[in-house]
Formats: sequence, structure tokens, C-alpha cells
Amino acid sequence: MMPSPRVRPALLASAVRIFDLSLGHMLWSRRSVFLGILVGGPVVLAAAIRLVVLLTPAGMPQINGATMGGSALFGMVIWLLYIRFIVPVLGVFYGTALIADEVEDKTITYLFTRPIPRGAVLLGKYLAYVACTVLLVLPSVVLVYFLIVPLGGTSFASSIGASFPLVAADLGMLAIGLAAYGALFALVGARFKRPLVGGLVFAFGWEPTVLLFPGYLKRLTIAYYLQALVPHGMPQDSALNVVMEIFREVPSLPISLVSLAFLVGVALWLAMRAVEGREYVLEQ
Amino acid sequence: MIARTRYFVIASLLVLTVGVGTGLVAYYVGFPLAATNQAGPEELQYVPRNATILAYANVQDVMVSQLRQRLRQAIPQRGNGQQELQDATGIDIEHDIDRVVAFAAAESDGPPVSGMVLARGRFDAVKIEALMREHGAHVEEYKGRRLIVADVPVGPAPAVPERASLSLTFLEPGLVALGGTPIMRRAVDLKDAGGENVTSNDELMNLVRSLSGDTAWAVGRLDALRSQAQLPAGLSSQLPPINWFSVSGHINGGIQGLLRAETRDDESATNLREVVRGFMALAKMQSSSRPQLQALVQSLELGGAGKTVSLSFMVPAEVFDLVSGAGALK
Repeated sequence: MMPSPRVRPALLASAVRIFDLSLGHMLWSRRSVFLGILVGGPVVLAAAIRLVVLLTPAGMPQINGATMGGSALFGMVIWLLYIRFIVPVLGVFYGTALIADEVEDKTITYLFTRPIPRGAVLLGKYLAYVACTVLLVLPSVVLVYFLIVPLGGTSFASSIGASFPLVAADLGMLAIGLAAYGALFALVGARFKRPLVGGLVFAFGWEPTVLLFPGYLKRLTIAYYLQALVPHGMPQDSALNVVMEIFREVPSLPISLVSLAFLVGVALWLAMRAVEGREYVLEQ
Repeated sequence: MIARTRYFVIASLLVLTVGVGTGLVAYYVGFPLAATNQAGPEELQYVPRNATILAYANVQDVMVSQLRQRLRQAIPQRGNGQQELQDATGIDIEHDIDRVVAFAAAESDGPPVSGMVLARGRFDAVKIEALMREHGAHVEEYKGRRLIVADVPVGPAPAVPERASLSLTFLEPGLVALGGTPIMRRAVDLKDAGGENVTSNDELMNLVRSLSGDTAWAVGRLDALRSQAQLPAGLSSQLPPINWFSVSGHINGGIQGLLRAETRDDESATNLREVVRGFMALAKMQSSSRPQLQALVQSLELGGAGKTVSLSFMVPAEVFDLVSGAGALK
């Protein structure tokens, strides 16, 4: 009697198994402390502002003597903390580590010897990254929203109700941003040996610099498309931001969404191909 | 998935669901309810349904604001107009007027648009009537109310200026109305006959509700105003296609305000946003050498979605120091 041939599981089913395994690892790893500080920071800051305003009603933050409203302050937090810092940082640190961590820990062999497509390992880990970061960042935004937006004199119901469409757009935009940065840096992590440095240079060197100048180069950034989805005005807290606002081109919403979806798809596909084809040599 | 991961996912989704759910409820139920409770001042019952501009100011809030105190310290001398008004009518704006509602509406007879001001406060009716009669006004009875009617010159002063009939009356104890005589009669009719007033104009009232918490606000139908203004066709076509506009401000240490416009369609709103963004960038460049104006310019925040364009701003007290400084130099 001939033994029945073993059927290789499909890509998606394998990716789901890897996702299940990786989500727990990602949440309870040493990196989680960093992640907790990163997404907890804005909540602590918002709670502190709330406390100060409760104790001293005239204590709303000011810019050059201008008192800010709760909604404007929330917009500033979204821009400066989430869009410019937290989302790219999470993308760089987690995206580049999807494969690199397994290589560094010398555990990639265990995954690759499983009867699953190699690309599913990256796809599953990427999905775990998206779930992990989205489940941490979005509740953090919601908490900041409830702490900050009602400040500034208007009633709780009216301020929360009036600004709800903005926060709904923010949540969607941040989830898309995390997915886009994660996919790009997953590709960088799968292709290059020292991906973290390159990722940091891209997120905090290339992107802010290119956005300062007029021209087409800014289309080679994620921030260009992501900024089109932000419902808040860009804060003018520094000369750089003023220059950025002057040369700011805003692509239309459909173009931004299609471009980001295309980027995620292509980056993931290339990353999966890189993982399929690359020979990972573990250092002894 | 291990237990603690599962608990984390559940907790995170719970925070997200409760947050988004609360926001949704506030948006669809809480926000309109909160607004309905304060659907504008009660003087709106005298405002006709077809009002094209409606404005409100809480005079007491303005008078006791830190900004007002600061301006008083900067410019200690009292305005002559304010003193003259008090001498003539006994009305001390600072203490006697609580709030003011003003509106303009199209008239079927008389001028194309006429307006009225309704002031709530404490007034000496006898003194006001005596003063107006001294200046040639006469008293008419209209449905049990005394209209003090005066003919006043209007428009540019040619040899024989056009004259318009202006009336003042006490619609209720503590509520004085000043405006064109035809619209005054209409206001009396509205109150007595229970006709359709502005509170039945849902479009306008939705805007009013959203502004009710502010110290001062104004809403208007720009397309109606434009057609009534009889502008040249060339100029009219150049103006942005704005249907409704509103401006509101909260006055205390400075003025925190919001300008909002509702355009004909999404494309017009996008174009308008681009134009405003350009002006904001220009203003930012121009204000770099003036720190007081910088604060104002930096507070500008452009927003809005769909057909709505909004621009929020904060005028800090320092800007008024500039004005008062300039005034003191004169």
C-alpha cells in the first residue's frame, strides 16, 4: 500500500497559524516594554493635561500666548506624536524585526523546516504585527481623544459628538499607516542584513527632508500619501513645519488610498519572494 | 493563542468598541440632544423664517471678559458714543444689556432687505420714548404695542437724502426691538399670530445649534444675500459658491473663533480649502517678524469635510495690545 502524499497547506492557512503563534510572542516580548512606553506616553501626557486643566481652568496649553481648544490639541497630538513618531517608529522596529529576530535568535530554522510555504511565515508575522500595533495604538488614541477633546469649555457630549468624524478618520488613517510602514520595513528586513539603520534613516531622514522641498521626490515617501488622510490641519510649531506646509501637496483621497494599498501589496509580495529565495546563514 | 494574549485582545477591542460606540452615540444622539437643549436664544421667536443673516452676542459675557478688562486698562477713557447713549436713553451698555440678537430678512414690500436688533436687558421705557419724541419721532399703535417711529436719512447724502422709517418698541418687558417699521410689524405679527419663525428653518437652526455655547455668533445664507445684493454678473461669478456661512467666537482672555462655510458641492469646498491654505501660508510668511501676529497666524487651523470648510483661530490678547498701542499713539 502506497503512503498517501502529504498535502502542503495553503499560504493563507499557514499564515494564520503563524499569526496565531507570533501575536503572543510579539505582545509579550522585551520589545513590548518599548511599545507600552510608546503608546502609553500620549495617554499619560493627555491625563496630565486634563489634570492640570481641572485644577487650573486657565491651564490649557498655549502656543505663543494663544490658548488651544481641546480639538486642536488633539489634532496636534495626532500629528506630532502619532503620525510623525509612533507610527514610523513602530513600523521600523517591528517591521524590520519580523524575520531578523528569528535569524538573530537562530529560530528561523524551526519555522522553515515546517511544511508550510516560507512566504507564509512572513505574511503571518506581518499580520501579527498589524494586529499587535493596531490593538495597542488605536485604544491609546481613543483614550487620548476622551481625555483631551472635551477640554476648552464646550460640553462633553457636544465636543465628543462634533469631533467624532475626525477621530474615526484618525483611527482609519493610523491603521493604514501602520500597515504601510510595516509592509515596507518587512521588505527591508527580509532583503537586507542591517535593516534597522536603513529603516531609521528612511523614516526620520529621507521622509521629513523630502517633504520640505517642492517636486516629485516626496511621492517616494509614505508620509506624503498618509498626510492626505489626516483630517486635522498641520501644526505650525516650528519653522520646518511652516516650510512643509508651504510646499505641501495633498494628493486626493482615492489616490492616497490606492497608492498605499499598492505599496502594501507590492512590498509584502517582494518581501515574501525575498524570504522564499534567500538562504539565511545563522552565525554560530 | 494563550490565555493572556486572548485577554489582551479582548480588553483592547473593548476599549476600542466602547470608545467608538460612545463617539457614535454622541454624534448621532448626544450631540443633537445637547444642542437641542440650547437651541438659540428665546428672541428667535420674533425672527422670520426667511432670515438671511442671524447674529447673537452675549453682551454680559463680553463685558466681564478678561479681554474687555484688559482693553479697558489699555484704553482707560470711556467711549463718547457709549456715554452719549447712556445720557440720551439711560441705557448703560455695560450693565443694562444682557444679550443682543440681530437679523436681516427679505421683505415683500419696502426695501429688499431690512434688519432688526433685539436687545434683552433693563431699560427705562419712558426716558427712551421721550428722547425719541424730542427728535421728531411719533408714536403709532400696532396690535396693542406702542411703536416709536422715526424717519431717518439713509444711504449717501445727496441734496435730499432718502428717508427710511425706523421703529423702536418694547416687545416684552426687558426686550427692546429696533429696526425698520415693516419688519417690526412683522415681528409683532409673528409673536401674536404664531406664524412660522426662524426656529422652523431646520437648515439655519442646525447651524445655530452648533454655535449655541459661544459668546457671539452669526450665521447667514450667502447665496440669498448675493442675489439680493444685485451684484454685477462678472463679480458674482467670481465669488466662491458658498451657500451658508457661520462665524462664532468665545471671548475671554482672547477670542477663540471658528469660521465655517458650506459650499455648493465637494469640489467647490476643495477649491476653497486650497485658496485658504494658500492665504494661510502667505500669512505665516508675512507674520514672521511680528510675534503678536505670529500667535494668531499659528493658531489658524483649516478643517472640514465634504461641502464644509472650517477655519478655527485664536486671537490672543497680545494682538489687542497692538491695536490699543496704535490707538494710544493717535
